[in-house]
Amino acid sequence: MTVQTEFARRSPIRDMERHIHGGLGKGNLGVLASPKGVGKTACLVHIATDKLFQDKPVIHVSYASRVDYIITWYEDIFREIAGAMAAEPPLEVHDEVVKNRVIMNFKQEGTRTEQVLKSLESMITMGRFAADTVIIDGYDFSLSRPEDLVKFREFAGRLGLEIWFSASLRGEGPLWNASGTPFILEDFLPAIDVLITLRAEPDHVRLRVVKDRDYPAAGVLPLKLDPKTLLIA
Amino acid sequence: MTSDIATMRNIGISAHIDSGKTTLTERILFYCKKIHRIHEVKGKDGVGATMDHMELERERGITITSAATYVAWGDHSINIIDTPGHVDFTIEVERALRVLDGAVLVLCSVGGVQSQTITVDRQLKRYDVPRIAFINKCDRVGANPVKVKDQLVEKLGHNAVLMQMPIGLEDQHRGVVDLVALKALYFDGPDGEIIRVEEIPAELAAEAKARRVELIDAVSMFSDRLLEAALENRVTEDLIREAVRKGTISRKLTPVFMGSAYKNKGVQPLLDGVVRYLPCPADIENWALDKETEGQKIPLRTDDDAPIVALAFKLEDGPYGQLTYIRIYQGHLEKGDEIVNARSGQKAKVGRLVRMHADSMEDIARAGAGDIVALFGIDCASGDTFAAPGLSLAMTSIYVPEPVISLAIAPVDKKAQDRIAKALNRFTKEDPTFRTHVDPESHQTIIQGMGELHLDVYVERMKREYKAEVSTGMPQVAYRETITRRIEFDYTHKKQTGGAGQFGRVIGVLEPLPGGSFEFVNKVKGGRIPNEFIPACQKGFQSVLRKGELTGFPVVGVKIILTDGAAHDVDSSDMAFQAAAQGAFREVYRKAKPQILEPIMKVSVEGPSEFAGNIFASINQRRGIIVSSVEDGIFARVDAEVPLSEMFGYSTTLRSLTQGKAEFTMEFLKYGRVPAAKAEELVAQYEEKRRQDASK
Repeated sequence: MTVQTEFARRSPIRDMERHIHGGLGKGNLGVLASPKGVGKTACLVHIATDKLFQDKPVIHVSYASRVDYIITWYEDIFREIAGAMAAEPPLEVHDEVVKNRVIMNFKQEGTRTEQVLKSLESMITMGRFAADTVIIDGYDFSLSRPEDLVKFREFAGRLGLEIWFSASLRGEGPLWNASGTPFILEDFLPAIDVLITLRAEPDHVRLRVVKDRDYPAAGVLPLKLDPKTLLIA
Repeated sequence: MTSDIATMRNIGISAHIDSGKTTLTERILFYCKKIHRIHEVKGKDGVGATMDHMELERERGITITSAATYVAWGDHSINIIDTPGHVDFTIEVERALRVLDGAVLVLCSVGGVQSQTITVDRQLKRYDVPRIAFINKCDRVGANPVKVKDQLVEKLGHNAVLMQMPIGLEDQHRGVVDLVALKALYFDGPDGEIIRVEEIPAELAAEAKARRVELIDAVSMFSDRLLEAALENRVTEDLIREAVRKGTISRKLTPVFMGSAYKNKGVQPLLDGVVRYLPCPADIENWALDKETEGQKIPLRTDDDAPIVALAFKLEDGPYGQLTYIRIYQGHLEKGDEIVNARSGQKAKVGRLVRMHADSMEDIARAGAGDIVALFGIDCASGDTFAAPGLSLAMTSIYVPEPVISLAIAPVDKKAQDRIAKALNRFTKEDPTFRTHVDPESHQTIIQGMGELHLDVYVERMKREYKAEVSTGMPQVAYRETITRRIEFDYTHKKQTGGAGQFGRVIGVLEPLPGGSFEFVNKVKGGRIPNEFIPACQKGFQSVLRKGELTGFPVVGVKIILTDGAAHDVDSSDMAFQAAAQGAFREVYRKAKPQILEPIMKVSVEGPSEFAGNIFASINQRRGIIVSSVEDGIFARVDAEVPLSEMFGYSTTLRSLTQGKAEFTMEFLKYGRVPAAKAEELVAQYEEKRRQDASK
């Protein structure tokens, strides 16, 4: 067994996938939602790294951070995963994993959804980057409309991709309704297949499945995010 | 500190290609009354800009060598070095930054922070150079200086703060608002030489006040007095300027100016910014290394009366001999003074001392601490330190990147042959990233450099300056070989039939050394190989590493551990053990699973977003890996890692794919494995070459 498949086999993302009926699936949109600083980006990067270990190319779209910050996230998570597995992956593993990742950075203000999707499609077709998953970090749902998310979903279906978003929840008052759906995402819910929220607790972050396609949602997961290692465990 | 030093500024003007640096410098010379007419860079009036004093620079519209010039602005003296933006000429930029105290970072108000801006910024950070920014070309369609200021923050991590705001943009660009004085500045006269100060136009007044508050907020952290004054509503212009100067000199602030050098707007306030906010030589701590105490750092005093310490940073071979540009860090120089070259120990007497303008010079009797001048008749290399006799100091050497590309050249006739040698001798002395040697097998003259353009320019200069026309071969990439498997060796070199015999046996291990070049470890015990022959073993291994079996290129990343062996009382010798080492390596090399490595370049392509797909495709077609792309709605920048061997002719391809609207830069990143198919091709080519050489 190669180092990569060993990592993929032992990854806690397998547990997460079991709780959402095998994973997000091609053509579907998933959203990780939480207030700022709770761990959405860490989760997304962990999901992405898990894909990379399975030799599945990932496009990481960022609306918020500089490219070098994102690269640092991946380096940190890669190191933590290696540490958690008590294994020192050879440099070739790191290089092979990184080859399968492309970072695309956009400014949400001034760039229409169509433009972003056109660039993504150019990367996949003209750039011959056979992406399996797209991670979209820093997308501001307050600047978006439900039609935009529908466009992303159609795109995912047409190109056979899984797309994960992060959604930052802001404001002083209550952030989610009685069923656990964040207020800011209520209008977008029809286009979201899987919705997971992250809530900060005293020494860890708890994951909760709020929507899982047409299935009954799994609710609070036995998984949590360790804020020190930034890993789901 | 003498008042001379306090009013001195040594600055460089650094930026991405075509952001208007040379036009800006031309305007500076004009307003400082150094020249009496303005000439455009690309010679619309038939004459090139003054600073681009080489014909080739004028023709191609790019700056090639760094020229130095001295100007006076008010009661300040400014030494300006105009530096090239193209990454192939990085050594010129590195040199300039080593000796300057401050820089003006020029950006295009449309293109903003581009790939070469990022390289230049990295260089500025490496040498801790404080800078101010000038957002140029505010008359261009799409000009957006505020967006460019934001890019300085987001892409380069600067604490950038606007010192001005534009009065109109594009074809409406009429002037700038000075946010410190809260006045509007207009540039009248045929060449913008008359500055008219007026009240701020009513429609801009509110925004100007708001931006001034932002400015004060941003810079008050550098001055308690400004902070108090702001809280008490009694801020003065002087307090703001004092805080901006502190922030800039500490490298924690980048004040941003703007205008259009081409349209003669904004240059004079930029000069005011240079004298107000960039440091004088005494504001910067400079250090030398004490050779006697193994490199202990010794602070230098910017004091005319201290013993002289100076750094030679540029050489030029002209009709009257070698011209050496120097920066004086400590002490002063007068004609007749004796100085010592710290590297060679040679003494020299200062003959002619000159102050440089681009392509003309002015004789001077004396130069003081902090000054940049030139000497005639001093034999030295770029990077040499000169000090007073008895001082054992050396400045740290200038960082020199390794060449990544080579080209075989051949004279077209006999006359060219003799001239080539002279030309190459001069160019290699001036530029340590340009190297030359004769290939011992093919006897071809090989030149090496930082990129295609770098070598193109020297080939062209040979033709124009030395009348030495050369033909060139295909550019040759500097491949390497390495091993990937640990393997043991046990080899005996024996020749004991007739005459003097030879005997040597070496036993040990060959293993990969990731990231390293070569390591030799001796673990032989009990004198099984006498100590006197151990260096010969090392030498033998090193000699065979110079030329790998697969491609003829050097082998790197190898660790050799010698564990055992045997010697003969009579027949063992240095030569025998060298031969044993070579034989051992050759015998096991293939079993160590050797691989071929190629230089991988960091390539950055920028162009309008509409061409992003074409850019992605062009990189993919060149075995490139796209690392990231950044789009802001108008422009896209794509960063990729591409083998150098795939990059030849890329500029032509890119031009045709993007209607000439995209450009790229590249620099060496690392060595990476060559794919199997390509490796087979290289091995086959080498074998064919060996067959041909053997049959000659």
